[in-house]
Amino acid sequence: MLESNLKIVNQLGLHARAAAQLVKLSSKFLSSIKIQRTDSNIEADAKSILSILTLAASRGTIINITINGSDEEQALDEIEQLINAGFGEL
Amino acid sequence: MAEIKKIGCVIVSHGQVANELLSAAENVVGDLGHITAVSIGWHDEVESAKEQISRAISQVSEGRGVLLLTDMFGGTPTNISAMFYEQGEVEIVTGVNLPMVIKVANQNTEIPLTQMADEVENQGKEAIYQAGDLLIPKKMIKDA
Repeated sequence: MLESNLKIVNQLGLHARAAAQLVKLSSKFLSSIKIQRTDSNIEADAKSILSILTLAASRGTIINITINGSDEEQALDEIEQLINAGFGEL
Repeated sequence: MAEIKKIGCVIVSHGQVANELLSAAENVVGDLGHITAVSIGWHDEVESAKEQISRAISQVSEGRGVLLLTDMFGGTPTNISAMFYEQGEVEIVTGVNLPMVIKVANQNTEIPLTQMADEVENQGKEAIYQAGDLLIPKKMIKDA
């Protein structure tokens, strides 16, 4: 199991299109991928757009990602890249 | 992962609402070949509206059933859609909103149509919030 804290850096936060990109990426992997806000216990499934949107993660929010499965390393690597790149919106 | 056969979906509404909902969903998740929209004009005849919905159903059907999402219970688009109801084959859920369309857009596993209809109904209800209810408690915590 891998875990990482990441900061949402793009201006619009984790909005619908950004969530869709994250889902598209996460769905490539077999591992289960969970996202949690670090300031509350709201948890979301990274493979569901509507679940991610319930986090209401605006810019500056720190999210905790937990990945569990055979391809967890690759998954964490690519998800970190996507979020740190502000979903291509920077 | 093997290609899954999807449940088809037709959004049926008054005016252009259906087209615009589909277009918004496509902007979020990309092209949606298994979903189409039927906008019933204010002056359309029932027969022509029925014909449009019937064509739309055959267009999106992949053999796993079709879900009709209509704008408002009791309205003409819903009433005409109801004529196509066939348990397990064509199901109707009213009060369509964008989260419901996105729910149907993302199908990762083959679930039965009746289960999809239940999930879409619940999704639609759960996706409604009063933003203030979420924002105020957090502000109070910050002030405290």
